[in-house]
Amino acid sequence: MIRLENVTKIYGTETVAVRDASFDIPKSQFVFLVGPSGSGKSTLLRLINRQEQPERGDVWVAGRNINELPASRVPYLRRNMGNVFQDYKLLLNKTVFENVAFALEVIGKPRHVVERQVPMVLDLVGLADKQERFPEQLSGGEQQRVSIARAFVNRPLIMLADEPTGNLDPTTSEGIMSLLDEINQTGTTVVMATHDHRVVNAMRRRVIQLDRGVIVRDQERGVYE
Amino acid sequence: MFSRIGYALRETWASFRRNLTLTAAAVLTSAVSLLLVGTTFLIQRAFENLLVQWRGDVEMIVFVRSDASAEQVTLVDSVLRASPTIIDVDKLRYLNKAESYEEAKRIFAGDPVTLSLLTPENIPTQFKVVPITDDPLLVRSLSDQYRTLPGVEAVALAEDEFQVISTLSNFIRVVTLVMSLVLLVVAIGLIWNTIRTAMFARRREIEVMKLVGATNWFIRIPFMLEGLLQGLLGGVVSCGGLWILNSAWTNGVAGFKPGTGISSLIVPNSYLTSVMLILLAIGALVGAVGSAIAATRFLDV
Repeated sequence: MIRLENVTKIYGTETVAVRDASFDIPKSQFVFLVGPSGSGKSTLLRLINRQEQPERGDVWVAGRNINELPASRVPYLRRNMGNVFQDYKLLLNKTVFENVAFALEVIGKPRHVVERQVPMVLDLVGLADKQERFPEQLSGGEQQRVSIARAFVNRPLIMLADEPTGNLDPTTSEGIMSLLDEINQTGTTVVMATHDHRVVNAMRRRVIQLDRGVIVRDQERGVYE
Repeated sequence: MFSRIGYALRETWASFRRNLTLTAAAVLTSAVSLLLVGTTFLIQRAFENLLVQWRGDVEMIVFVRSDASAEQVTLVDSVLRASPTIIDVDKLRYLNKAESYEEAKRIFAGDPVTLSLLTPENIPTQFKVVPITDDPLLVRSLSDQYRTLPGVEAVALAEDEFQVISTLSNFIRVVTLVMSLVLLVVAIGLIWNTIRTAMFARRREIEVMKLVGATNWFIRIPFMLEGLLQGLLGGVVSCGGLWILNSAWTNGVAGFKPGTGISSLIVPNSYLTSVMLILLAIGALVGAVGSAIAATRFLDV
């Protein structure tokens, strides 16, 4: 589903964010990208959804070399990917329902699709009774659930999560992880960048560890160390 | 499809209200600059009415009495052609009664009293003379000579009548055009800035839209519509201003005594209408250009 071949990403002239990274993530796998801040985890995610392009190497998604994709096709690539962030990136002037609906509306989905899909996905993340609330009326965990609902509402092939539990306490994090696990069970490939030991050690999934932009470990059913 | 159009219009309107002060500044600036453009057009047209008989480097007009015989006309013609070193005989043009009357209708468009005294029968015919020489004294001495020819009613020299106006009109044209161009650029800049601010205010939304796969055009169009609307509104305001200006001018000129020539400075309404349409088009263009630059430049948030 996702394959990197000798990818190097340099910011500016000499800051090497990722150096010669290669890995292959099959469909419906759950992968952790771990490592300290600045080790290149976020950059890898940004390379996969083409917010960045590598200086060297190729990034393949769903059988296509996305670096050869013309800029006009990038939006269609992103419709196959859901993105979840540490800071949720919710629109504060919109309700929970509107935030999730927004993701469908701006890619031109008709109203009847929006009205069917949004309640369904809000039910999945356990917020069916809070559709009319605004983000600021929700707890951090609930806000992250909204953002996961928004990322998943279009049934993407891939979920990219960048420190999704970074702002949450351990109990809430557990809830978010079981939600991501549930999404993974539906066949969605999940790539999650994190430096949360507990989460990684509890899940026991594939771990790709980075240190200063270099992949130092790639282990099935790994722990954080 | 309809939901997309609805989305674009809703967003445009919401953004319009959010940035009311900036929008007002952009609209007013484009209105003022367009008003100047329009005024330039009208002034130009007014002077053109005044100068219509002097078009094409004509410096001297020999008017022949309406009751002159054909022999007298031929005589004047041959006398004119007898000075090929001073007069450009190739450009020498004779306007018969019908042609002279057509021209008079234009000159006296705003002076129906004078026009009503003229008929295709009693109007003097005229020779339009383009001199070769640069020496105005030579032309003047020739004109004194022509005045004495049989059948000649009068000889008019551009120098005496409209040289000043022609110079003035060129000067005014340059000044107003430069000023309106500068203001148009300012208007584009202001619209650009308004759209940039609008995009900055909504950068989170734009970021989310890009991440979920909205196309660039989908994101851009509401902003471009907003700019277009601002330019168009400026055009509408300037049309109103121009109409008021022109009405005041027409009323003012109507107070002058007929036959003084001032009355020919009135601009016909059909011309005013086409100028207004041009202003609306320029306004829309200004808005589209300003917002297109901003929307393309600042989409990478």
